[in-house]
Formats: sequence, structure tokens, C-alpha cells
Amino acid sequence: MPGISFQSLFIFSALFRVFLIIYGEWQDANMEVRYTDIDYFVFSDAATLMASGKSPYERSTYCYSPLIAFLLMPNSFLHQTWGKFLFSASDLLVGLLIHRILKLRGVPEKLCTYSTMVWLFNPFTFTIGTRGNCEPIICSMILWILMCLMNGHVLQAAFWYGLVVHMRIYPIIYALPIVLLLDPQHFQPGKKPVLVEWSSRALKPSSATSSSKTSITQYIWNFCINMITWRRVMFGIISASTFFFLTGLSFHLYGWDFLHEALLYHLTRTDPRHNFSIYFYHIYLHYEHEFSILEKLISFLPQFIVQLVLISRFALDLPFCLFLQTLAFVAFNKVITAQYFVWFFCLLPLILPWSNIKLVWKGLACIILWIGAQTNWLAWAYLLEFRGKNVFFQLWVASLLFLAANTFVIINTICSHLYSPLFQQLKQGGKLKQGYERPTAEPL
Amino acid sequence: MRGTLIVSAHGSDEQMEARLLLVRINSVLQFVLIFLTIIRSYVHASTTGQAGYVDKYITKTYFEKHDSLIDPEFDNFIANEIPLTLCKVLEDGNCVLPTLSNLHRSVIGEGSHRHLSSSIIFKFQPELKIKLVAHSCEVIMTERLPSGVFADPFELQHLVQRGVFSDAAVFGDTNLELPSFRSNRSVVEIHMSIGSKMLSRHHDKFEINCEVPLHARYPPLGLGFSRVEFGQPDLFMCCSLEVNGFKRSCAYLPTNNISDYKASPLAWEIPCGIREHAGVVSAITYCFALVSALLIVVLSFCYTDNKGSSKPKSL
Repeated sequence: MPGISFQSLFIFSALFRVFLIIYGEWQDANMEVRYTDIDYFVFSDAATLMASGKSPYERSTYCYSPLIAFLLMPNSFLHQTWGKFLFSASDLLVGLLIHRILKLRGVPEKLCTYSTMVWLFNPFTFTIGTRGNCEPIICSMILWILMCLMNGHVLQAAFWYGLVVHMRIYPIIYALPIVLLLDPQHFQPGKKPVLVEWSSRALKPSSATSSSKTSITQYIWNFCINMITWRRVMFGIISASTFFFLTGLSFHLYGWDFLHEALLYHLTRTDPRHNFSIYFYHIYLHYEHEFSILEKLISFLPQFIVQLVLISRFALDLPFCLFLQTLAFVAFNKVITAQYFVWFFCLLPLILPWSNIKLVWKGLACIILWIGAQTNWLAWAYLLEFRGKNVFFQLWVASLLFLAANTFVIINTICSHLYSPLFQQLKQGGKLKQGYERPTAEPL
Repeated sequence: MRGTLIVSAHGSDEQMEARLLLVRINSVLQFVLIFLTIIRSYVHASTTGQAGYVDKYITKTYFEKHDSLIDPEFDNFIANEIPLTLCKVLEDGNCVLPTLSNLHRSVIGEGSHRHLSSSIIFKFQPELKIKLVAHSCEVIMTERLPSGVFADPFELQHLVQRGVFSDAAVFGDTNLELPSFRSNRSVVEIHMSIGSKMLSRHHDKFEINCEVPLHARYPPLGLGFSRVEFGQPDLFMCCSLEVNGFKRSCAYLPTNNISDYKASPLAWEIPCGIREHAGVVSAITYCFALVSALLIVVLSFCYTDNKGSSKPKSL
């Protein structure tokens, strides 16, 4: 395959996004169907209200942190496309961070570039920023947190973690694997954690040190015994302080409107309208009466169990764990909208260099099944919403198939993954506890 | 005897005084009542702009006093609470206003997003043409939406920006997400200018076409489809007077003599969830989620990290 430099790729992606933003403005002005996401108008209106000293929550359906509206205030006095440029810049930043993270882990340049292309040229991702959706900002923060951890900047990671959980609740699911990773075997005073190189993914742990290999079970046991470590405590304090400070400030400024719209709405959201979730029809059929505690617990149980098991098995391979957790979280959630897919799309390139999955045919099967199940759902949704046919049952079956496709992808991803902890284990004194035998020949 | 007389005389005086006092109290009360009535009517006039004039939106005043849309109350509001003084203000002795000649209504489109189309034909006397243009007259249509459909206020604003309407607003329940059994009704108010271009097409009539985009809420559960019926719109003619700036006067244009609606009420069939599905759907949903979760759990536990012997991927 001809080589593509990352710089050219990056510049081309940036220019393409600028073109899409300009095209979007043209389409909005000249065509009935607008290119811009309806959410962007919500953000802009909320930002305009904030700029004039009012509450952004006077704008109905604005259910985000006031920080988003704050970031978009220049929409009202600079240009209405400011927000789109900001989100697209975040989108490009995600690409940059993916490349940096892979380079830090010793992935060869070519593989780095191809993995990054999976993000930069994914039609889903380059439209989401240019249409004015704010998810790229969240994705860039998640990757920045990962990079801070990799560089040993725990306190910085904690600050950004508190900030991102304030802006979007879902990253709270990353708390436990991050805390597990802040083990004294990885982080020692005065020393950066040592990353496991990509080239060692083909290696077995050396037999000389096999007796000292620490399994995930041992990590969890160590965690339970030595739960309270300086880094874990500081991570918890700083991230919690950041979260509560921002939440408290927002509450002070905007009162219960903020709390209800930006936090409680997302925590308690059960939308009976059709969406990708298997629960939508079940919720609609029971919307006239409240769900019992037992029913709520039963519907929460699969998601809870999956999250717990994935963390317990894969926490040390943090990027892989975060990807699986996010994909599973979205798949089992009570409400699934297309913008949630970006949450795991930004983590996918981080695991590809460690995946044994062959594009032909297993990889293609995953892609075709996932896109096919989505397309099937969209077809029934079109018949319901735009043709007025009563196809609720068929649409619900389509959502079951979509969950099946997601499960298939998760299972195949796990099966094909070359497990590689993010950090090497260190002995007291900073020496490596677990070494790796190099193969006689490099695979690439 | 004399003492008794004195007592009687005193008793009479006291009774007289008591009666006088009662009369005075009665007079004061009546005065206060009249005063309060005057104040109330003044305040009422103030909330409708100024006495005899209508504010920017007719429907806004209704929702300032009522929490939800109830048809008899809205009828009463139109009949008694809106100052319909257009004729008086124009000082037209005969009060000749355009009359409604025809009103044709239909629901256009398919699915959950449709347009409520109204084609309104007015007849007017040619002498009225100059006044209609000079006083920036407009037709205001208030559409009382049935429970089960709603209008997106931001979508309407977009249409106003594109010049489709001169103004538009939604009052009442504007929550876009709730199903119909958890939401209240709303009213859409559309303003359409009567321009000279519109009036020049015909000698004695003009036509207004209005398409209001509407969206269906999730209806209550049923057997397949839920039927939503539309009533007649309320039409007003409102004009601004240059002398008085933004003050507008309105007249009501009755539609109940138009036979189009009486023939067949306008209806929209919206697909609804089928109650009989509840048991099966809930059981399979829970089981499917549990089975998928268990598959992932089992595989995660079976996964070994001893993949070092596998041939890694090559480019």
C-alpha cells in the first residue's frame, strides 16, 4: 500500500471539514432540508440567551451543561458557524490524539496512520462535527485523559475527568478501571509509568518471571487490600472537586432548571419514542403506569453485570476496556441515538493495532452486520415515522437484531484482541517486575 | 311613663342612626364595587395592549389567565375578552370588512410529520382595498390543535425568517417529547399579511394559503391507529393604525357558515402501540438483554490473555 503521511492526511481532513461547514451553510440557506443538526440551533439559542445575561435553560430542549452554551457565545457576536468550527477542530484534535497515543505505545507509523484514518474518514464522525454536534469535544477530552495517564500526569487527568463527567454523565463508567490502573505497581514516586510497547504484544511473559506475574484477579485483590493509595485518593478528590465545583456553580447560577435539564434528565431518561434501544417499545407499552422498582432493577441488571465483568477482566488494558465498556453501555442503554456511536468510534482506532481480526471476512462480517442491522432498523423507522404504517412490532424486532449485532461485534472484538496491559508492572525501586521475551523476528 | 317615653325616643334615635349607618355603608360598598369594576376593566384592557387594542399575539392573553386550553373557555375568551374594535377604529359607519367566502382544509403528507393546509378565500368591496393596504392589515388564524399533535415553535420561527408567514407562535404545551396522554393541548397563531400583490390578483376577492407543519405525539395504546380530529380555525382581521403606532384593532371573521367542515371533519390517523403486545414484548426484551449480557460475560471469562502465540496482524 502506498505510504500516506499523517500530515497530509490531517491537512486534507481539515480542509474537507471546512468545505463541509461552508456547504452546510449553503444548504441551510437554499434547501428545505437543513444540513445543520437541530441540536446546533438549540446550542446557539442557549448561547445567545447566556450572552444577554439570561439562563440558557430558557431555551426548551437545551439539556446540557452551561459550559457548552458558554463555548458557543461567539456564535452571537462573531459568526453563527463558530460552534461548528470549534466542534470540527475538536474532531481533528481527536485524530491527533489517536495518533499520539498510538505513537506513545510504539505502534509503527503506517499502522498509526491507518488507524487514525478510521476516525478521520468515518462518514459518521466528519458529519457530526460539521453539522454542529458537540460530542467531538467530549471525545477529545476522554483521549486527553488517557494521554495524561499514559504520561503519568494523574492530577491533570483527574481534573479533566471531573470536567468531562460534568459535561456528559456517561464517562462515569470509566471511574473504576482508571482507579484500578492507578496501582502502585504502575505508578511509583518520581517515576513515569512504563508503557507496554506494541511490539511486545506478540510476546509471552518470560518464564523467569512467570511466577511473579500479577493477574487481574490479583490486581483486584491488591486493590481491595490496598485501596487507599495517595494517587487514588488524589484522583478521587480532584475529579470529585472539579465535578462538584462546576455543578455547584451552575446550580448557583441557574438553579433547579440546570439540575433537572443537565443532570437528572439524563439519569432518569426513558423515552417512549422509537430509538435504537430494545427497551423503547416496552417503555411505550407501559408508559401509562410507573415501572416498579423490580422492573427498573431487571432492566438495569444486564448493563450493570456487563460493565462489572468487562472492568474486572480488561481494566489493565485500558483503551480496550474503555472501548468495550462504551460499546456495551450504548448497546444496553434504555435510549440509543445515533450520536452515542461517536463515544466508542473515537476509541476504536486505539485497539485496532492489537486486533487479530482479518478484514476478510470476519472484519467485514462485523461491519456489514452492524451497518445492516442499523439500516434494517432505519427502514422500519422510516415506514413508521414518514409513511405512517403501524410497524411498532417490526421496529422493535429490528432493535433486537441491532443489539444482537452489537453483541456479535463485542464478542468478536474480544476474541480477536491481543491483550496488552497499558503499563508494565514495576517492582519497588522502579525495576520492571515483568519482562517480555522478544521474538526472534519482528512481525512487521 | 315619662321614663319610658324618653327610652322610646332614645330607642328611635338609635334605630335611625343604625339605619343611616347601614345606608352609608351600602353606598360606600357600591362605590367601592363600581370603582373595582372600573379598575378591573382598565387592567384587563391594559393586558390586551391598551384599552380597545390587541397585543402582538391574541392567544397569549388567554394563556396568561388559563393553564390549559379548554374549548368553551377559549370560545368565551374570543367572544367577550378580546376587544374587537376594528370597525369602530376605522370609523366605518357600515363596517364593511372582507367576508369569508370559502375555507378549504386538508392534512397533507404521510406519517408523523404533516402539514395542515388551509385555503381561505375572502370577498371584499373594492373600496376597501386601499384601507387594507394602508393599515397593514393581516389575517390572524388561531388553530386549536387537538391533543395528539403539536407544532414546533422553532420550526415556525424558521418559516417566519423565510417569509412564509409574517409571524407565528405556539402557546400551551410545547413539550416536544411527551406522548399525548402526558401532555396538554396547544394553540398555533399564524399571522399573514394582506399585501397589495395579493389584492391585485382579483377585483373583489383574495386568497390566503397557509400550511402549518405539525407533528404527531405518541398516542395512547389502542388497536392500531388513533384518530385525531381538527376543528375549525378562528380567523381575525387585524389592522394597525399609523397614528397610534403599534396598536392594532381586530375583527372576528366567523367560519361556522362555511359548509366544507360540516361535510367531513378533518382527521389524522396516527399509528399507536397495541396493548396486547405488552406481555410478549416485555418478556422477550428482558430475556434478550439478559442472554446477550450472559454471552458477553461467559466469553469474557473464557478469554485468556495468552495470545502471544497467535500470529499478529501484518500490514
